[in-house]
Amino acid sequence: MLRTLSSRAIVPVAVAVTGFVVVCCILLYSVMKTDMVNYTIRHETNLTDTVIKSARYAMLKSDREMLCNIIANVGDQKGVEHLRIFNKKGLIMFSRDPGETGRLVDKKSAGCISCHAGPVPISTIGSMERARRFTNERGVRVLAITAPIYNEPACFNAACHFHTSEEKLLGTLDIGLSAAPLLKSLAIIRSRMVIFSIMVLILTVGGVAALLRRQVFIPIRELTEFTSDINNGNLNSELTGISGELSDLADEVRAMALKLRNYEQEIQELKSARIR
Amino acid sequence: MGNSPTELRRTDGSENPKRRAPQDNEKIRRLKARSSHGLYVMALFIAMSVAAIRDFDFFPSFPPKIHDLLGQPPSAEMISTALLIYSFSAIILVLSRMMSGSEKSGGFIQVAYLAGFYFFYHFVGTMEENFWAVFAAGMTILGLESYQVWTWCREEIRIQEEIVAGHERNKHKDDKPN
Repeated sequence: MLRTLSSRAIVPVAVAVTGFVVVCCILLYSVMKTDMVNYTIRHETNLTDTVIKSARYAMLKSDREMLCNIIANVGDQKGVEHLRIFNKKGLIMFSRDPGETGRLVDKKSAGCISCHAGPVPISTIGSMERARRFTNERGVRVLAITAPIYNEPACFNAACHFHTSEEKLLGTLDIGLSAAPLLKSLAIIRSRMVIFSIMVLILTVGGVAALLRRQVFIPIRELTEFTSDINNGNLNSELTGISGELSDLADEVRAMALKLRNYEQEIQELKSARIR
Repeated sequence: MGNSPTELRRTDGSENPKRRAPQDNEKIRRLKARSSHGLYVMALFIAMSVAAIRDFDFFPSFPPKIHDLLGQPPSAEMISTALLIYSFSAIILVLSRMMSGSEKSGGFIQVAYLAGFYFFYHFVGTMEENFWAVFAAGMTILGLESYQVWTWCREEIRIQEEIVAGHERNKHKDDKPN
């Protein structure tokens, strides 16, 4: 294992470069994923605010038909998985899915537990804490937001006097959007990063291998062939095309070969002189 | 081992091959044992990673008092930046040791650093997103360290074996009757 000079030179470089690039890609992907999820949450929070503001007049006028229509129309938008308004007791009053109306929401379920964990429910919560991610009964990954509908002077001063000024929260709007576009974007980023890592690996290994071959392995092979020729008695062999630090070694080997050639010639001359 | 310097030398000052051979063989044995040291370190890290991928769910969680005592954990971005700097410097250090032919290695200390990253991500609650980054960093650093120690040990073993072979040759020369 790893006996050749090329593998000993290339393997550590390839492992170091690829490992570091992979670590960078994973960390970058993690940061990008967090940013994209946060962006989607902010976008959904704005959408819930838009829905609440659109439904405000209908709620003030207690116009249930208009409110049902708003919920149904917004709920029909592509990518909206669920849209419902429930009162502070958790009873669903309006929903995109008419079958849900009148059902009670479990306070221990995801999205409710963040406020209802303690004995007294939290009345205000940050936008990031309002988000939850889950897979619904149809197997769709959903990113949902719950937005509280607060009591306002316009509500408790209205002629109907239905709500008192002491009530802080009137209900909650819950909207769930399909996370498929977000997951698709993340999958594209992931695959691009994998391709980028493979390209870096190929370029690094290829570059190091090409340079080593040109600068080290080919001169070493030529030196080996030259010394092998000399060893086999072929003293007229030539050694050319070696540069860099190896050229000093090549000069020494050439000088040794020349000396051998001279000795060989002297021996031949002595032999022929003795025969004469 | 256990031989005094005078026992290891002949009266003319040269090394006594009969005395040197067990010591050299013991050194080769120790070098062989050390060459696989990196594998034990990697095995420990993989075992720790198995615990980390489950987000240390089999350990009891710290009571709130301990959490308060520890204070607010650093942000995930800060931990990731630290991991990036740590990976870069550790890889450079291992490559420079390889270049200088040094026998030094981080070993279990590197596993302790990596365990620190796992624990910090666990406390921040972003283990799922960052587990593979720590794992890849650990495998790269420990893999390079294992390779560095292994190549150094192989080289030392080769030198020691040549010394032993030289001693054996001298021993045979001494044993031959004049």
